[in-house]
Amino acid sequence: MAPSDQTAPPTTAPPAADATGTVTKRSTAVRARALTKTYGRGEATVRALDAVDVDFEAGAFTAIMGPSGSGKSTLMHLLAGLDSATSGSAYLGGTEVTSLTDKELTLLRRERVGFVFQSFNLLPMFTAEQNITLPVELANGTVDRAWLEILVETLGLGQRLTHRPSELSGGQQQRVAIARALITKPEVVFADEPTGNLDSRSGAEVLSFLRRSVRELGRTIVMVTHDPSAAAYADRVVLLADGRVAGDIQDPTPEAALAGLDALRSLDDAAVVAR
Amino acid sequence: MIRLTLAQMRRSVARLAAAGIAIALGTGFVAATLVASDLIRTATTDSVAAPYAKADLVVNADGDQLRPQDLEAVASAAGVAAAAPLATSWEDVAANGKTINAQFTGTTSDARLEPQRVHDGAFPKAADEVAFPVKQAERLGVAVGDEVTVTPQSGAEGGSTPRAQRLRVVGTLDDPYGAWTDAGGAAVVTAPTLAGWQAAEVGSPAGVTYPDVLVALDPHTTTAQATATLSALDLPDGARVLTRDALARELAAQATGDDDVFTYVVLTFAAIALVVAALVIANTFQVLVAQRARTLALLRCVGASKAQLGRSVLFEATVLGFVGSVVGVAAGTALTQAVLSVLRTRTTTPLPHTIHVSVAAVLVPLVVGTLVTVVASLAPARAATRVAPLAALRPTDAPTLASPAGRVRGVLALLATVGGLGLLGIAVLAGTQGSPEIGLALGVLGGAVSFVGILVGSVFWMPRVVHATGTLLGKAGASSRLASANTLRNPRRTTATSTALLIGVTLVAMMATGAATARVSLASTLDEHYPVDAVVTSYGSGDAPGEMTTALQGRLDDVDGVRRVVPLSRTSASLSAGRESTGIELDGIDPAAARDVVRNPAAFAGLDDGVIAVDSLQDTVGTTTLEDGDTVTLRASDADGNPTGAAVRLRVHVVDLGEPTAYVTPAVFARIDPHAVPDTAWLAFDDQADAADTLAAVQDTVATEDSSIGVVGPAAQHASMEKVVDTILAIVLGLLAVAVVIALVGVANTLSLSVLERRRESATLRAIGLTRGQLRWMLAQEGMLIAGVGAVVGIVLGVFYGWAGAAAALGAFGPSPLVVPWATLGIVLVVALAAGLVASVLPGRSAARTPPVAALAVE
Repeated sequence: MAPSDQTAPPTTAPPAADATGTVTKRSTAVRARALTKTYGRGEATVRALDAVDVDFEAGAFTAIMGPSGSGKSTLMHLLAGLDSATSGSAYLGGTEVTSLTDKELTLLRRERVGFVFQSFNLLPMFTAEQNITLPVELANGTVDRAWLEILVETLGLGQRLTHRPSELSGGQQQRVAIARALITKPEVVFADEPTGNLDSRSGAEVLSFLRRSVRELGRTIVMVTHDPSAAAYADRVVLLADGRVAGDIQDPTPEAALAGLDALRSLDDAAVVAR
Repeated sequence: MIRLTLAQMRRSVARLAAAGIAIALGTGFVAATLVASDLIRTATTDSVAAPYAKADLVVNADGDQLRPQDLEAVASAAGVAAAAPLATSWEDVAANGKTINAQFTGTTSDARLEPQRVHDGAFPKAADEVAFPVKQAERLGVAVGDEVTVTPQSGAEGGSTPRAQRLRVVGTLDDPYGAWTDAGGAAVVTAPTLAGWQAAEVGSPAGVTYPDVLVALDPHTTTAQATATLSALDLPDGARVLTRDALARELAAQATGDDDVFTYVVLTFAAIALVVAALVIANTFQVLVAQRARTLALLRCVGASKAQLGRSVLFEATVLGFVGSVVGVAAGTALTQAVLSVLRTRTTTPLPHTIHVSVAAVLVPLVVGTLVTVVASLAPARAATRVAPLAALRPTDAPTLASPAGRVRGVLALLATVGGLGLLGIAVLAGTQGSPEIGLALGVLGGAVSFVGILVGSVFWMPRVVHATGTLLGKAGASSRLASANTLRNPRRTTATSTALLIGVTLVAMMATGAATARVSLASTLDEHYPVDAVVTSYGSGDAPGEMTTALQGRLDDVDGVRRVVPLSRTSASLSAGRESTGIELDGIDPAAARDVVRNPAAFAGLDDGVIAVDSLQDTVGTTTLEDGDTVTLRASDADGNPTGAAVRLRVHVVDLGEPTAYVTPAVFARIDPHAVPDTAWLAFDDQADAADTLAAVQDTVATEDSSIGVVGPAAQHASMEKVVDTILAIVLGLLAVAVVIALVGVANTLSLSVLERRRESATLRAIGLTRGQLRWMLAQEGMLIAGVGAVVGIVLGVFYGWAGAAAALGAFGPSPLVVPWATLGIVLVVALAAGLVASVLPGRSAARTPPVAALAVE
């Protein structure tokens, strides 16, 4: 594993290579080619995504940022196989996601993709540990205990494993969700507004955990957000506006991200004025 | 507010439909019961009163007491249009080489007094004309225009050889009311001819007697006036004048034993069904109010008062209750009519063409149904008033683990259960001690209270039972574990769903068990009233006395459907108790054989050489009524009826066999009448054989004998009554099956609501790797788990309540064994499991079809 920018040497050795995508330096984990999604018909047609082309590196923390209605969530859903594209294609590693059947997509999501949602989406009747191991259970597989230990330690959940979600704070729930996303060692983790339901302190905690997962555990994370300060935690920010890629910021600082977002907004204004 | 309520009703039509059907079934049940019980009463009354045709009045005497001069007096009384005696005579009829012994009756001058109708031809008008019932004509092989030979019986010794008469067949007859079914039909000759035969039999015209005289009145005479006129006549003691209907009711009451027991039983079940419908409705309204929480909160925000919201729910309930009840009454009466029409084609018991729908049968279910619906909606209406306006502003709540039920509820549930069971116990005791009315009243109360207690308390034990069952199944993969865990999420929802089915299944199991128990009880009651399937008597030909030869016995035994033939001898004897004595009919029969051929063998249990079994209809000697254990003296009686010969001392055993006779063993009989030979045989039919067919076959067999032989067969009556009983029970079960369907629709309703609430969770599961198939299978297992547990518990409860109900209602008639209808219960369990599966199909499909992203969006 050889990430580009390291603030500290890796504290844990990465697991032996068993899933593709985590060991290749600067390879592409996820790709979109002319990806389009439209809703409605005729006069009421809404182009949520308009022929988007974008690559996401393996082993990197990428953010997709844009104002509401920019199509960022739609892009993520299509990349993850949660929704079907109107045209174009999306690739996960070497697999064309847009051409898979529902069953194949489900298996894909089970083994090669992890999710973190804005509203945590933990199952309330299971404990934290049961929630974390749920994807493995669904596959009727056996849990890699060593990996589970690493995750629990990295995410600071050691004291909370036997608690139910109703007994956890928002930040703790989201960390459980992250652990759940990582338990199958997926090629990529998609995070949709992971800090949206958290206060600023918990949010900062979660974002640094996400970054640790990339730095220390060699994961690939694609995060969708509208918050520039969250985007600043990423290695790269892809800006989206009106269903199209509108910008790209490497190694963003909070100010750079904010400026980028403002630029998008004035882009909109200009578009409005131009009409 | 009303407009809004109606608009809301229109939107929730599908959910309300389930509750509406529940109330429709409950009211339909009550309506059908009321109509059916009217029907049974009418049918029984019609059946026993059939020989009285459409007479206005009947002069009825105890035994054969009315004389020809009484008949004339009645006929010539003021206001009487016509009078006819209920006169019958058994004669030998020969045609085409066959001889049968048939019952004859006389023509009447007024059509109102004649129960039979012309099928072909006409009634006889001349002395040499005769009309036969269709079946008898077939048996003789005659048609209109043919001739038959009738040899009238001669009377006592010393009479002249009776002259055979040739009669011309002028008509064939139908017996639409079954007036003469017992006797196998009655042929008709003119009244004078019959009178002549009767006179020949008793030796002189003056000796002829009749048990009843039918009276038809002039159009302008009221029954009251005529009754007064006729009562004033000089009639023998013991003669009474009553309306045909009054007499019919008396006879019907005798025939069925106790009136209306059957109605009590079915109405009890109907009442319980209504209670259950109320619970289902309460459940549905609770779900509705919960679903509409946001709308209700919004209305509160906008200015609606609590009272307005509450009233809106009640109004909705009233409309629903009324509409449901109307549908129910219509459906119930239509169903009863349909069943009646089917019944008419399948049984010989004469039944009316249409049902009579009384005002009560319409109003009672209507009022009760609406009331029940409104009462059931009171609690949900109160819940509606408690919705906080703030609830409209909160985002959709994540499904939480509901708080455990309160302790107060637990205590109340326990009290209700224990109290109700106690009442039920008292009810069973009351029933077996002989007061079915108290037994039923207490039974309904106890049963309902204990059941409500169990239901209210179910929120404590049901989720645990479901989860425990689920844990056992959880070994079978991830979806099973998920399904089992899901049942614990919302214990109240799980309980409510399971309970809807529990209610329905308990009812079905209760009905099936109660019916099975009741059938056994009623069968033994019927057996007591109709102890022997058929009686064959040989009257002899000419001077030769009748004899039940072994050859004849053998031929009877050979008839398809006859299981056993037991001969008995008959004679007249004299019975003395203390200083009084009376003449009796004495039968000699082998006790072991008797026990085999009679339907209630207990009657002959104690019969040995020292015992005389005296029928309760013959148990008075002068002023003494005989009781078990009394000692009596039996002697033969001579031609004048005086006791002669050796006396035999015997112990009395009172039995109930429906014939005014006493029974002794052949050994004792031989001491009284050593020269008697058996002239009668009792026949037992196979249970599997059709009684009416077997009876006809027996009659055909004896028709080929030389001597005249009479066949009387109560078996056909017995079989018809049983068929009616069975059909009515089938109706009850059928109505209940529909109630179970409703409960299952309720299950599907709640399951789909639960899936709706869990959309976000299902989407999450799909997102992290649950396939559509796994999702559907998870929901299916949830459905089956909840339904299965509800069904098993319901079956256990139902069997218990069914036994208790039957014991309380019918315990007075005999022991109520626990009869478990395994087949029916097995079917119920399979149906419940299948329904749980089916209930999950639609929600499962809609859950699986939703792309995960659609439900992940944050509102």
